[in-house]
Amino acid sequence: MSETPRSTLLNLGTGRPAVQVLEAGDGSPLLFLHGAGGIAAWEGVLPLLSSKHHVYAPLLPGFGQSTGLEYLEDQFDLFLHGFDVIEALGLERPYVVGESLGGWMAAEMAALRPDKIGRLALAAPVGLWRDEAPVVDLFGSMAHELAPYLFHDMTCAAAQRMLGLTQLFSNKDDRTQEQIETLIGMSRGFRTVAKFLFPIPESGLERRLWRIKAPTLIVWGEQDRFISPMYADIFREKIASAEVVKIPNAGHLIGLEMPEPYAKALIEWGK
Amino acid sequence: MTPGLKNAAHEEIIMKFNWFHLMPYRWLPEDFRERYHGVWVDLPNSLYDPERGHTLYNEYLDMLEYADQSGFDAIGVNEHHQNGYGLMPSPNLMAAALARRTSNAMILVLGNSIALYNPPTRVAEEFAMLDVISGGRLIAGFPVGTPMDVNYCYGQNPVTLREKYREAHDLILKAWQAREPFAWNGKYTKLRYVNLWPQPIQKPHPPIWIPGTGSIETWDFCAELGYNYSYLSFSGYKRARKVLDGYWERMAALGKEPNPYSCTFFQQICVSDTDEACEREWWPHVNYFFNKCLHLYPGMMGPPGYMTEASVRAGVVAQAGNTSLNMGGNKSWKELVDGGYIIAGSPATVRQQVEELARSLRCGHLGVALHIGSAPMELTNRSTYLFANEVIPHVRSIWNDWEDHWWPKALPANKREQPGSHNAAVQARAERPTEVIA
Repeated sequence: MSETPRSTLLNLGTGRPAVQVLEAGDGSPLLFLHGAGGIAAWEGVLPLLSSKHHVYAPLLPGFGQSTGLEYLEDQFDLFLHGFDVIEALGLERPYVVGESLGGWMAAEMAALRPDKIGRLALAAPVGLWRDEAPVVDLFGSMAHELAPYLFHDMTCAAAQRMLGLTQLFSNKDDRTQEQIETLIGMSRGFRTVAKFLFPIPESGLERRLWRIKAPTLIVWGEQDRFISPMYADIFREKIASAEVVKIPNAGHLIGLEMPEPYAKALIEWGK
Repeated sequence: MTPGLKNAAHEEIIMKFNWFHLMPYRWLPEDFRERYHGVWVDLPNSLYDPERGHTLYNEYLDMLEYADQSGFDAIGVNEHHQNGYGLMPSPNLMAAALARRTSNAMILVLGNSIALYNPPTRVAEEFAMLDVISGGRLIAGFPVGTPMDVNYCYGQNPVTLREKYREAHDLILKAWQAREPFAWNGKYTKLRYVNLWPQPIQKPHPPIWIPGTGSIETWDFCAELGYNYSYLSFSGYKRARKVLDGYWERMAALGKEPNPYSCTFFQQICVSDTDEACEREWWPHVNYFFNKCLHLYPGMMGPPGYMTEASVRAGVVAQAGNTSLNMGGNKSWKELVDGGYIIAGSPATVRQQVEELARSLRCGHLGVALHIGSAPMELTNRSTYLFANEVIPHVRSIWNDWEDHWWPKALPANKREQPGSHNAAVQARAERPTEVIA
């Protein structure tokens, strides 16, 4: 089940990004748009999804081997880039699953061109804002301080692994070359995220949500402390065909912390 | 004005000293470090008392005016936002106040974070106003700005900040020099009509100084455009050696002459009658600065994209980041003095170290922070007095074989307006009794 994904590099042409796509599984296509942490390993929800679907997981420029962030100057460029990737992959009205940053991107794309997205699942997407429930500042904290906002249970393996990784950010001079490259790779990915979401991850999605036609599943971790689950209700109100599933004992990174019930809901929605 | 001393006229080739103020708040509480994660960005402003602030601003402006009267070549202010040790969100307001109350010293605004102003022609206008009011005494600083100021307080995107900065710079420079209205179709600023009123006195424009913290990109920018590089560091001249060696190596590699006046360094300095008195008088205020004012929250020092990947890589490998450790926190007076974080002591001690500083860093301009932390008025002015009279005259001529291309071309002193003189000239006539026509 946890097969190694195939990795291909999509060249979208001169003056446009080059996109690394991870692919695994057979079955109907599922386009997976990753969150701000990228895809560090084929783990958590991903192998579960690829047991039922042909999963395509393109990486945004700055993540993995994807390059060309400079060609995406604003959010509009980013969303059009998403459609370019769909077209290059030869997908027709795919089932799109997006997590957090990727959920925002998927929602914006589905609002921009409703006819191009078949089904939609948004897992704790950013993109809305209420003063009474501010989204945690992803860019104004130390990495080890963020982890407790991302997981419900800090003792779970994924949370511990993330804490281990954040140790790299502390000032010390005994890093291995591999650790240095990991660190620089992470900062490159965060750069991409900051380009589109700094300083507040909201830029009008709410007034466009009504345009979404695809049947939309909103998934939220019941204990999400990064983005309050109250936002699920706003998505449900504003998207005509939306349903909400809340996953118990899950924080923001549902796919790493509670992959089974999350995958079950996504696979059910994709049928 | 102190007898025997004078501010540097622009034609004189002497080392220049600018008296630089940060304007810290003086009453951060005792348990400040334990209760708050940093001095900047989100420090609650309930700690600020505006009535105390009234006294503080006026004392601080008085200190700067005294520096002018004492013969310092320039007096300097800078820009910070939401900051407990830098109470100048608008340095231009301070510079305007100084322009009207001084007439000798050059006025260094280091500077305006030009990517913050929309449109950036606002900076071109305000700097032009300052230059005209002051009779051409302005030195114009263009910092990119710290992450705390520009990204966290002013919401600029760290990834596009440098591109926006460069565009703002190009617009300001063109606005200062154009003699016809022009259209500016930039990526960040679009203006159909740019037509600056007033124009600066200095031609083609006031000297431009670029403050930086050691990145190669900034050195190259200064070299390309012929600007002064002002290295800002609170860790003192001994630790700056490595960075400025890098600067001079880079200038040599780019084929630039090693002109000391292309380089400014900032140093915190305390002068008292004796070394012993200096420690006794200054330690509480120095301690306040290094352990309260520099209590910075690392989570807001490096937003993603603020540095180029090359600089990130250099920083990770060389560990050149400004950690609280190398910024002088938790150090004794002796450690701070021995490490060069501060130059402190009797005039003779300070004289020797200032000379060592200038020669080892090869800087023709020295920014001296003679007010530190919570220092009160009399102590600061004593230090200013001793530095002006017993230090400056001995180290002035270190670099007299180089031409200073980075100093204002002010109007000659006898052509500069004296604030208030016009009222005086007409007072008798203006206040004459009502004339009754018979």
